[in-house]
Amino acid sequence: MNIVVCAKQIPDPAEPGALDPQTKTLKRDGKLILDESDMYGVEMALQLAEAAGGGEVTLVSMAPDNKVDGLRSGLAMGAAKAVLVSDPALAGTDALGTAKVLAAAIGKVDGAQLVLTATESSDGYTGTVPEQIAAILGMPSITFAKSIEVRDGTVYVKRQTDAGYDEVECPLPCVVSVTAGVVEPRYPSFKGIMAAKSKPLDQLTLADTGVDAGSVGWGGGGQEIVGIEDAPAREAGEIFEDDGSGVDKIVAYLENLKIV
Amino acid sequence: MYQWSEEQLMIRDAIRQFVDKEIRPHVEDLEHGDLPPYDILRKMFATFGMDAMARERFKKQIEHAHSVEEAKAAGLEPPAKPAREGGSDPSMQLIPIIELCRVCPGMVTAMGVSMGLTAASIMSRGTIAQKERWVPELLTMEKVGAWAITEPNSGSDAFGSMLSTARRDGDEYVLNGSKTFITNGPYADTIVFICKLDEGNPPEERKILSFVLDAGMPGLEQSKPLRKMGMHSSPTGQLFLTDVRVGRDRLIGETEEVPSGGRDGAKDTFSMERSGVAAMALGIIEECLELSVNYAKERVQFGQPIAQFQLIQEKLARMEVARLNVTNLVFRTIEMAKAGASLTFAEASAMKLYSARAATEVALEAVQLFGGNGYMSEYRVEQLARDAKVLQIYAGTDELQIVAIAKDLIRR
Repeated sequence: MNIVVCAKQIPDPAEPGALDPQTKTLKRDGKLILDESDMYGVEMALQLAEAAGGGEVTLVSMAPDNKVDGLRSGLAMGAAKAVLVSDPALAGTDALGTAKVLAAAIGKVDGAQLVLTATESSDGYTGTVPEQIAAILGMPSITFAKSIEVRDGTVYVKRQTDAGYDEVECPLPCVVSVTAGVVEPRYPSFKGIMAAKSKPLDQLTLADTGVDAGSVGWGGGGQEIVGIEDAPAREAGEIFEDDGSGVDKIVAYLENLKIV
Repeated sequence: MYQWSEEQLMIRDAIRQFVDKEIRPHVEDLEHGDLPPYDILRKMFATFGMDAMARERFKKQIEHAHSVEEAKAAGLEPPAKPAREGGSDPSMQLIPIIELCRVCPGMVTAMGVSMGLTAASIMSRGTIAQKERWVPELLTMEKVGAWAITEPNSGSDAFGSMLSTARRDGDEYVLNGSKTFITNGPYADTIVFICKLDEGNPPEERKILSFVLDAGMPGLEQSKPLRKMGMHSSPTGQLFLTDVRVGRDRLIGETEEVPSGGRDGAKDTFSMERSGVAAMALGIIEECLELSVNYAKERVQFGQPIAQFQLIQEKLARMEVARLNVTNLVFRTIEMAKAGASLTFAEASAMKLYSARAATEVALEAVQLFGGNGYMSEYRVEQLARDAKVLQIYAGTDELQIVAIAKDLIRR
């Protein structure tokens, strides 16, 4: 079974991030790493391909400046190949534009039966791209998968909910977004790391994808970032003087929050 | 080579993640509890495929050894040693050593003695059958190895004062002696025991022989771990041999006729051990420097971060000089190994001497920079300072390294 995993390359969250005051977006000019939330998708894909008795896992990504470090991490984990779309014209592309580009890139992967994504990226957090990709590709989709099984052309998913989980199924091909709890991502083996550089990595421009240049980039989005400002400082907590009724006050406070 | 390659950095990052997740949470148990390091090391080997790679490498070496024997038997020129492949890049061994030493140098001692010293001494002089019998499981850490040379009265003068003996008794040997400061001694499954062949001749004329022992053999006693200053995550113990009977199949090489009376084999092992110490030193130095820079920037005294004081800056600068120098020594080792060259005994000694001193100086200066906090276990540099000190003692003391370097200079 051939599986595509959407793999976002993001600035290392361990490094202090910075916003560009001109574009009002996150600066992405340094090293980009594989978004941790996408490692679960890569691991799930590798396990599903193995369980199916074979098939290729392909990573698909859109990133500035032809950055590939994050994709190399996914290839080192065991993915067979990667497709990167990188083009200066894509700077400033919004979520829908990103979905169009990724869908076009997925369309170029032969025999892709299942597309896995994270529920949302760790830097953008829109959480809308997976559904948009499914809509553009005309595929059914399931979100928030905490476990996935594939049998006889049908994908069976336990879908995380506030109350527990729903059991959902849909026919292949489809798009499934996976939560962080779905599987434990493997460490890349030394051999995998050494092999990653020689695995196929196709680099596409916007023109290669066939996506209309007017629907991506700064001008193509249906959104505009009008301002950015620091998050407000956390307000001081409420202080109770213990005049002998401290316990009652704390209990009343917690009851008000519906904690007790 | 002046910097780590992209692949080497990926390996470093992967090992670093493993260390953060699998080792840091257990440091307290490894250092001050009863948790031996072996299960975590085995997990590391399996996680990164180091065990499979070791098995593959071993298989190729044995195939080559067979082809050499066959060629010799047929009176032909033995085939050349197969060229090294990417898989045998020494950085794959050195990077895990560096990363482990940033947190738990004792684990490296336990690993290095088992798969380095013990397996290497069988690989370098053993017969093919002996290699196949003992080495694979040592290389993958499935079995724990110990290399027993030091005795209560023979440390630096390892061969001169050695009292352990082997006596011939029919087709067998009877082994007796006491060994001490033996890394992995309490838990070892496979032990290389180095002793003198007692033929009734004066001790200084006796041949040095090495035997492979298995835990549980009658007459072999392994002590509990000894209490020591540092490297608590590496169990160190004593071995007592009382009339341990072994066949010739356990005599490494299955021959008493060893070059230089057996002393060269041990020297090769010393040389390898010494170059590994530089990587250990680098890990300790890198961690101490990083912790010190962060602390100096955060710790405020007299109204400003202590990093603003020139006496603190001097310490940081000296640490950085040490880091650069030891990094370059490690890079040189990698380059030389890739080129198929090896360090001379004196070069290995020089590298070990400098690196060990640098690690101890940096770690102690880190304690000083942290002040009272540095003396407390919580701030970690205290552990690294205790751990670093042994680098100047084991694998040949500083003093012995100096002698080896000087002898080589004078001989030229």
